[in-house]
Amino acid sequence: MNRDEAKTILLLYRSGADATDPEIAEALALAKSDPELSRWLEEQQARQEALRGKFRQIPIPAGLKEQIISEQAAATRAAARREKVVGAAAVAAIAVSLLMLAWFFMPSRPGQPRLLANTLDNYRLQMVNLALSGYAMDMTANDAGQIQAFLANKQAPSSYTLPAGLKNTALIGCAVGRWQHSKASLICFRTGKPLAPGQQSDLWLFVINQAEVNDVPAITSPQYAKVRGLITATWTQNGQLYLLGTAGDEQTIKKYL
Amino acid sequence: MAEGVNFEDLVACHYGPLYQFAYSLTRDEADACDLTQQTFCIWAAKGHQLRDVSKVKTWLFTTLHREFLGSRRREVRFPHVELEQAAAELPTVSPASVHQLDSGQLLDALGQLDEIYRAAVVLFYLQDYTYNEIAEILEIPLGTVKSRLTRGLARLHHLLTHVRPPLKP
Repeated sequence: MNRDEAKTILLLYRSGADATDPEIAEALALAKSDPELSRWLEEQQARQEALRGKFRQIPIPAGLKEQIISEQAAATRAAARREKVVGAAAVAAIAVSLLMLAWFFMPSRPGQPRLLANTLDNYRLQMVNLALSGYAMDMTANDAGQIQAFLANKQAPSSYTLPAGLKNTALIGCAVGRWQHSKASLICFRTGKPLAPGQQSDLWLFVINQAEVNDVPAITSPQYAKVRGLITATWTQNGQLYLLGTAGDEQTIKKYL
Repeated sequence: MAEGVNFEDLVACHYGPLYQFAYSLTRDEADACDLTQQTFCIWAAKGHQLRDVSKVKTWLFTTLHREFLGSRRREVRFPHVELEQAAAELPTVSPASVHQLDSGQLLDALGQLDEIYRAAVVLFYLQDYTYNEIAEILEIPLGTVKSRLTRGLARLHHLLTHVRPPLKP
């Protein structure tokens, strides 16, 4: 190693910090035996120390530390609030999802009202759900008078008039359902088509006081609507709201009107 | 684990040198404050992952440097400058002249250094980091650290000889 090479190496030398580096150690050893290199190194060390001091004099803005700490504290609080909001939203979303799932898949039973907005569409949907849910009939009978008497006894609508098509259809029984805070009569018929295992009827007539469903106009000609795979016909007569439902299409249901 | 490190103590201990490092890199007070703030922000989010508490300081400087590079959207590869004979470029500036400098003049000269040298030079002077630590912070090989320092220091000293009339050799 010559003097210039040693200077290049010692340019990086910081007193006490880098002496273990083999190249620096060799250059330092050379400086001990070379007075000119030794003088150069001494000046270089003084220059390094002066520069180090200048770098450390770079002014630090007042209040930076407090700003960092306070902004982090604010960020932590905001994150905690976000977590709470997100957590609450997640819980609410799960609850709503569970309620919707329950609403759609849990079998409804006569007498168990579901809180839906009081509209004709919702009434129609809830009654169809009831028909499809595998409900238990409150009374099994094929005598129309007997069924009407039973319904009257249960304070359910009983002064209904069956359409001509239903009068010749096999009557199976009845049940009392609920809409909001009032009762709806469910009269069950059988069309004669094969039934699924456990199925007791495949044609359902719901009757409720027209006033119990909000904003239902007089419906003199049946309105047809598909609800959950059933064709339904809706009409009003003498203050009663009628809803008839079965599998099929308009032509199918018209046979029972 | 670094989970037990108190955030306020950490800031009190390191914000100054970190800011000085950031300012040396950016030469802008607002940018340097942002970089320093961002570094501690990242610590708050990820610092718990650091297993060796003794590496906290290195971790902070590494993070700040990464953020600086990221903010510059500039990919810095590892150009290796040969350890040529830098003696020819060795400074003639005297220690006494250095004492007459103010920080602004020093930073002006530093700003004229190529960016790839600047961070290594600042860490060399500012924190007395070992070469291995500088290599770790800048995420470059040890040989590259030495070459950058050799070239960077030589150029800085050379630049300082031309700063102001009082600094003439």
